[in-house]
Amino acid sequence: MLDVAKQVVEAAKAAGAGYADGRVVSDESESITVRNQEMEGIDRTSSLGVGVRVLVDGYWGFAATARLEPAELERTARLAVEIARAASRLPMEPIRLAEVEPATGTWQSPMQEDPFNVPLEEKVALLMEATRRMQAVDGLAFAEGGIDLYRRRTWLATSEGTAVDQTTVHSGAGIEGTALGDGELQRRSFPNSFRGHIAAAGWEHIQKLGLIEEAERTATEAVELLRAPECPSEVTTLVLDSGQVELQIHESIGHPVELDRVLGMEESYAGSSFVRPEDRGRLRYASDLVSITADASLPGGLGSFGWDDEGVPAQTIPIIVDGIFQDFISSRETASRLGLPSSGAMRADGWQNLPLIRMTNISIEPREGTLADIIGDTKDGVFMSTNTSWSIDDHRVNFQFGCEIAWRIEDGRLTQMYRNPNYTGITTEFWGSCDAVGGREDWTLWGTPNCGKGQPGQTARVGHGAAPARFRDVQLGVRG
Amino acid sequence: MPGIVGPDEVRRVAGPALELSGVDGVEVLFLHEWGGLTRFASNAIHQSTWREDTGFRVRVVAGGRIGVAGTNDFSPEGARKAAESAREMASVVAPDPQFPGLAPPDPLEDDSGFDEATSLTTPERRAAGVADLVVSCPDGFTAAGAYETMASEVAVANTEGQFCWAPSTQASITTVVTGGESGSGFAEVFASSVDEIDPAGLGRRAADKATASRAPRDLDPGRYPVVLEASAVATLTGFLAWIGFGGRVLAEGRSCLSGKEGQEVAAETVTIYDDARDPGTLGIPFDFEGVPRRRVELIDRGVFRGGVYDLRTAKQTGAAVTGHALPPPNPEGPFPLNLFMATGDATLEEMIAATDRGLLVTRFHYSNVVHPVESTITGMTRDGTFLIERGEVAYPVKNFRFTQSILEALRDTTMIGSESELASEFFFSASRVPPLKIESFNFSGRSDH
Repeated sequence: MLDVAKQVVEAAKAAGAGYADGRVVSDESESITVRNQEMEGIDRTSSLGVGVRVLVDGYWGFAATARLEPAELERTARLAVEIARAASRLPMEPIRLAEVEPATGTWQSPMQEDPFNVPLEEKVALLMEATRRMQAVDGLAFAEGGIDLYRRRTWLATSEGTAVDQTTVHSGAGIEGTALGDGELQRRSFPNSFRGHIAAAGWEHIQKLGLIEEAERTATEAVELLRAPECPSEVTTLVLDSGQVELQIHESIGHPVELDRVLGMEESYAGSSFVRPEDRGRLRYASDLVSITADASLPGGLGSFGWDDEGVPAQTIPIIVDGIFQDFISSRETASRLGLPSSGAMRADGWQNLPLIRMTNISIEPREGTLADIIGDTKDGVFMSTNTSWSIDDHRVNFQFGCEIAWRIEDGRLTQMYRNPNYTGITTEFWGSCDAVGGREDWTLWGTPNCGKGQPGQTARVGHGAAPARFRDVQLGVRG
Repeated sequence: MPGIVGPDEVRRVAGPALELSGVDGVEVLFLHEWGGLTRFASNAIHQSTWREDTGFRVRVVAGGRIGVAGTNDFSPEGARKAAESAREMASVVAPDPQFPGLAPPDPLEDDSGFDEATSLTTPERRAAGVADLVVSCPDGFTAAGAYETMASEVAVANTEGQFCWAPSTQASITTVVTGGESGSGFAEVFASSVDEIDPAGLGRRAADKATASRAPRDLDPGRYPVVLEASAVATLTGFLAWIGFGGRVLAEGRSCLSGKEGQEVAAETVTIYDDARDPGTLGIPFDFEGVPRRRVELIDRGVFRGGVYDLRTAKQTGAAVTGHALPPPNPEGPFPLNLFMATGDATLEEMIAATDRGLLVTRFHYSNVVHPVESTITGMTRDGTFLIERGEVAYPVKNFRFTQSILEALRDTTMIGSESELASEFFFSASRVPPLKIESFNFSGRSDH
């Protein structure tokens, strides 16, 4: 297939492209959902095609097709050039690409047991048993379990000589219990909400999750939430588990530091960013305890790869160091506007889409102590766990998150359980109030499998390493 | 250039899947999509794409057991392989006691939603439209957005003898114009034909809003009367589609409308229905399991009448199937994709004039569910939020966060616009809705711009 990628690049050059890259992508997925020990859905999908991106006189064009015969490759390449020429109708500073050494080679995400080779019966049996144990809890309405598997192989060739072949396998699973009653709907998930915990790994990752072992506790908490009081509306100390810190990083740090967003390229859809190019090295984004790193080489991370979809090698980029903003995640085009090398963050959702700046693995650096230590060190406050809801404004300033469950913290101990907890804040004020970040013991490399961006809409799977953390003077309990 | 595959070719290529041996039934969903999107920002075209994809989703039934496989290999061999893969999956699962059977024969072929000129729109034409839009913006303002022209073709065939086929086209522009001191305006248009699109007019509309919203002032959050333009109303209806109207969430008690059939849930002037065949929307006339779509009255003069159903939820609940299945395996259940809110008799200006002190909201942004059973959602205002004083727009204000029950807002609705627009919500398909005046709306926080 690398030959096909090279053919479409040559066709684009022959049609007039000054630069071209061709990506052949083969996607496979398998999804299994069980509910109350009945099959909700079991399906497999496969998709194969090629996308060609060209620069003609400094303007981009992109076209994609599922048909790989030579005549179609030539037609698609010519169309990409035609699209680029049409773009020149609105004059702009011609696009320049930051320099990168041409890359060749192969890369594969680490995996011990190929999850696609595990018998379907074994996968179904795992979910059946987990949901059986959940259903044994009195008062539970729905016990659900799901497994999601993805394999993507990408062959990338560029007119500059890059020719790489890489394969990623992502595996994830989770369970969710739902309790209903008296106008309330309460859910508990394990290990995380929205289909569980997904990682760049094989079947061994799913086997280690402990879905069966945690089924009863998960279901029990869902039922207990029905009887719990509402999380109070107050300004207090907030402790978040690592799963919620994951999404807090994603929405209020990961997206705002995407350089295309900063430069206004996402303005009309998901918005722009409060962070400006001149903020590098100056903006106090968070307290001294907060350091954030984008690392595309983390084993197990959904944002890990050998090279991004522009052929830029995986890198480790400091985003925030001791609370001070340092750098963006970028592409060759956007980085060149600031006179910088690309951070290597361009990824496309399959062959059908052009690459966009996407988070790699954007993680908070661990500090000290466990979640229990942080709670033990908190005199009064609220501990929240597991995301249910997220919303943030078009500059990534004002946010509001909901969690599945919360408990009061009194003199270092968890006491009263609360239902429907949520909190709201302003990004830099919130991160500035962080006065505890957990250590390596409770740091988890989570996966966010549903990050949306761009027009046409694309979905990316990205990674976030997160530890539990504590924030002071946070507004909780926003009501309608 | 690609074009319609056509019903005969779909039948031929899907044939090997439908002839799969050792099973009780097979359903083939065929999807074909092609077209381009010209994306612009800072008055320049920065991303411009074209793509075509064709594929199947094959659902196999064997002894009441279901398996689904999808492929974009549009060939008889691809169809056969997908069917075999689905059969393998069906062989390892337990029977589905709720399986209602495949759609019965009710053939339907309808190309009335297809405009060939739109399907053949060139990148030059989209670029020219973007140029017209950009030129319409005054000095000091820049436009961002996307101009998309797409064609699609959907067919469903099954071993019960059902065959449906419909091609359709869609042209759309969304734009955000910004400039001055934090001025921001928004406009969008959706149509089945590119000839119905007026890029320059759309640009002027967004630019006028951006001009008016410059230098927004601080205002305390709280409860205000509010006038919502159509794009903001589409957020309310879009989320109600998700958490309210689906037959599955209704039957399972997870909907904010569960158990409320026949009850008054909104002001008596509020009527919401779903109708894919109405020319005022962009719908296909059958659902993704091959059942013709029916018009469904959801809320009729304030009273909740019922939800939408696919074959499975209709069997479970005893309700009539309405033709609202999503593609299999679809654990979410049926969903209304073509919502309408009936128009009233007020103009936007009359709603503003009837407001002593309140807010005018252009649109909402990045909304999400806070409490599904209470229909409470949260989100931000965006691209033009204004204080109304003594019946007139007084000045722009900085963006607010809202946290609000949708049903409560519909109960507090006192005026409904006489004209509706097809308006999108971030996550959902477009609804055709009018502007609304709502007497109390909860703005729970604010941003800095």
